[in-house]
Amino acid sequence: MNHRGGWALIKSSWLSWMQYSSFFFILVFGWMITPLIYMLVWSGAAGTGTLGGLTSGEFIAYYLILILVNQLTYSQTNWTVGDVIRMGDLNHWLLRPMLPLYNPLANEVAGKVVTMIFVIPIASILAVVLRPELHTTWDKVVLSLLALAFAWLLRFFWGYWLALLAFWTARADALLALQDSLVFLMAGIVAPVWMLPAGFKLAASVLPFRFMVGFPVEILLGQISRQDLLIGFVYQAIWAVFAILLSAFIWRLGIQRYTAVGG
Amino acid sequence: MRYLRLIDRFIKVSFVEEVSYRANFWINLLHSLLNLITGVLGVYVIFGQIDTLRGWSYAETLSVLGVYLTIQALRNLFIGPSLDALAGMDGEVWSGNLDFTLLRPMSIQFLASFRRWRLFALFDLLLGLGVLVYAAISMDQALSISNIAMFLLTLLFGAGILYAILLAFSALVFWSPGVMFMWIFDGVFQLARYPLGLYPGWVRLALTWIIPVGVITTIPAQALRGGLSMERLAFSLVMAVILILCASIFFRAALRRYASASS
Amino acid sequence: MPSLSNSPVIFVRNLTKTYRVPERESGLGASLKSMVRRSYQDVKAVQEISFSIQAGEMVGFIGPNGAGKTTTLKMLAGILYPSEGAAQVLGHIPWKRETAYLRRISIVLGNKSQMLWDIPPLDTFGVLGEIYSLPAAEYRNTLDELVDLLGMEEVLKKPVRNLSLGERMKCELVAGLLHRPAVLFLDEPTLGLDISIQRRVRDFLCQYNQRYGVTVLLTSHYMADVMALCPRVILIHHGKLLYDGRLDGLAQQLAPFKLVRLTLNHGISTTNALDLPPNAEIIEQENSHLTLRVDREAAPSAAAYLLDKLAVTDLTIEDPPIEAVMDQVYQEGNV
Repeated sequence: MNHRGGWALIKSSWLSWMQYSSFFFILVFGWMITPLIYMLVWSGAAGTGTLGGLTSGEFIAYYLILILVNQLTYSQTNWTVGDVIRMGDLNHWLLRPMLPLYNPLANEVAGKVVTMIFVIPIASILAVVLRPELHTTWDKVVLSLLALAFAWLLRFFWGYWLALLAFWTARADALLALQDSLVFLMAGIVAPVWMLPAGFKLAASVLPFRFMVGFPVEILLGQISRQDLLIGFVYQAIWAVFAILLSAFIWRLGIQRYTAVGG
Repeated sequence: MRYLRLIDRFIKVSFVEEVSYRANFWINLLHSLLNLITGVLGVYVIFGQIDTLRGWSYAETLSVLGVYLTIQALRNLFIGPSLDALAGMDGEVWSGNLDFTLLRPMSIQFLASFRRWRLFALFDLLLGLGVLVYAAISMDQALSISNIAMFLLTLLFGAGILYAILLAFSALVFWSPGVMFMWIFDGVFQLARYPLGLYPGWVRLALTWIIPVGVITTIPAQALRGGLSMERLAFSLVMAVILILCASIFFRAALRRYASASS
Repeated sequence: MPSLSNSPVIFVRNLTKTYRVPERESGLGASLKSMVRRSYQDVKAVQEISFSIQAGEMVGFIGPNGAGKTTTLKMLAGILYPSEGAAQVLGHIPWKRETAYLRRISIVLGNKSQMLWDIPPLDTFGVLGEIYSLPAAEYRNTLDELVDLLGMEEVLKKPVRNLSLGERMKCELVAGLLHRPAVLFLDEPTLGLDISIQRRVRDFLCQYNQRYGVTVLLTSHYMADVMALCPRVILIHHGKLLYDGRLDGLAQQLAPFKLVRLTLNHGISTTNALDLPPNAEIIEQENSHLTLRVDREAAPSAAAYLLDKLAVTDLTIEDPPIEAVMDQVYQEGNV
């Protein structure tokens, strides 16, 4: 492992991204707006009562945390991996004396820092203006952070193996768009997962998408039974390991093809 | 006459361009269907929990979504792609190819608005109209001819308002190229998927007066259900005319500014 | 010198263009700081340039990168507003961008394309025919003629993205000339092309100019382009006009030295064995051949000195090659 090189990469990506910081702020604005809409719709719908077990203020808390989690786990890097492969920039990755995975990881870390500079102040302002209600305990916070870490791992590698399909097809980014749609439907953005119609709820509890965003938020808000929590962690871990193995496998096949064809 | 002949030519050329990427057809189809499904489910899930939302029934809310999808399809038919070729991510303002466009002996605004067509959007138009028809049938009250006439008029005005906003947002790119104003607008326009009445007062005000995207979809939907006063109709018309005029002036100023500041 | 009897097609007086560009330093702190406040700097791209060009002239517009060539070209095409000064092309003020003016000019940029990428050139030409509202018969004739002159029959129906760089440049030329402009601005038309296509493009421009008397203002980094096409050149550097006149006068005026080529009747073993005139500098040395650089005024005396001191079988005095002169001007930035 080449940690010095990795750190230098993170720093240089961050520097070059700060040059385009307004670009990222605008990107993030676009990503935040969808959950914000559903926050307004649901908290408005709850009115003075409760809906699906949540009050208006709790909906606001749910969505504010969801926005943070969504931004922390959303892997914008994977959108560029396909371009890197198609345009031949991959050669630079392969020529450096370090694991190629360091490059997207450095991008990912740098991107997170840049986007958080924007997201955290906005979320804080919204929290002051909209007055969320949050009742939680320390053990939930800890479990939620654990779930968040897994969620990032899962979402990054799930997107990574999809992006690596660019070795074979020029339109792998269509699959990333499909993933975004499925996350919207099943990861608690359109509505908290427990409020989805039965069929969707079942699909969400088995498929990986809920574990990329909604799961840590549910834990923090305490909207999950002890048994479901355990099952959820098992599913999340299985999907994360699966995504990592699949990424490694596809990378190996892809590199074979790439070097055989010559880029 | 000359302009009509040009439009005819633009459509034909765009068609040839589009069919040169056959694989895109399936991806477009996938995108269109996903867009429809996420939109409808967004409404369906909410009304799985409650019957009316601040005075809007399921069918009425669906009709707003129908208007949204229809207007988006109209936009993506030519205004969107044309303005994108000018001010989008790989647009002429960025690449510098604007020089050629500026040298055309004709109205630049016409060129900027009509030169690219995306005929696949006709399929989206069908889907949008389908949602509208379904919503209209599911409504409690029967449709009158006058309601339909009012609806079509306000839809037209709404499309005009959208055109004016898009033109103005494209013109902004001349001031700071590289900022994705269209992405910001798209984020805000997402709010128009739902009736204006669903949102808190300050959002409603902003969506009526600052960036009047709410007017674009909510007023036609009100016309369809029969709750639209003549004043609202006139308001829509006046707003459309004023905005189109202002946007044209602004666009011209932006072109002048480009000519005096760029390199 | 252009005669005063007929008024010039292009007339430029004290044309000036100043840009404001944001300043940016490298490093972490600076990038954070620049988000808050940006400092600007005025850059004078073009400074008080004056010249005029007669109908049918082909003029080479030369100077190093960033000299202000493209900026001037764009002002004359009407894409840019000048900061100060005046210009008239074909009796129009370019930056008013009147339709009547735009119909009579054209610009071809070597590094930018007006072709639609995914479709055959013929379709792009069709669109241009409509935009310039050319009558069908005229469009047909012009297209046939241009295609014939450039020998590009076979590329008309292939998508542009599948064409080679040379084929694409031919398409750009056709696209630029379809409406038969009276004034043609060419910015690096041979950029990145191989030698044989470069020659083809030059031959075409020469022929086209003779046939239709189109006025051409051409910028190029390849002096071969300028030498083949332009009897007259305008040299600018750092936005200022340095030279305007015949190409063959350029070296005389700009290079303060001459080259003396010698052939000796014996091989040269070591340099210190040679007795050279003062201030002569050896540029090349191979077997019995020697090339020296001497001051222009000192050339005759240097030649006499050499003939006197060395066993010379052949001696010539010549102007330095145009590329070498340009290189010197570009580096020193003055005449």
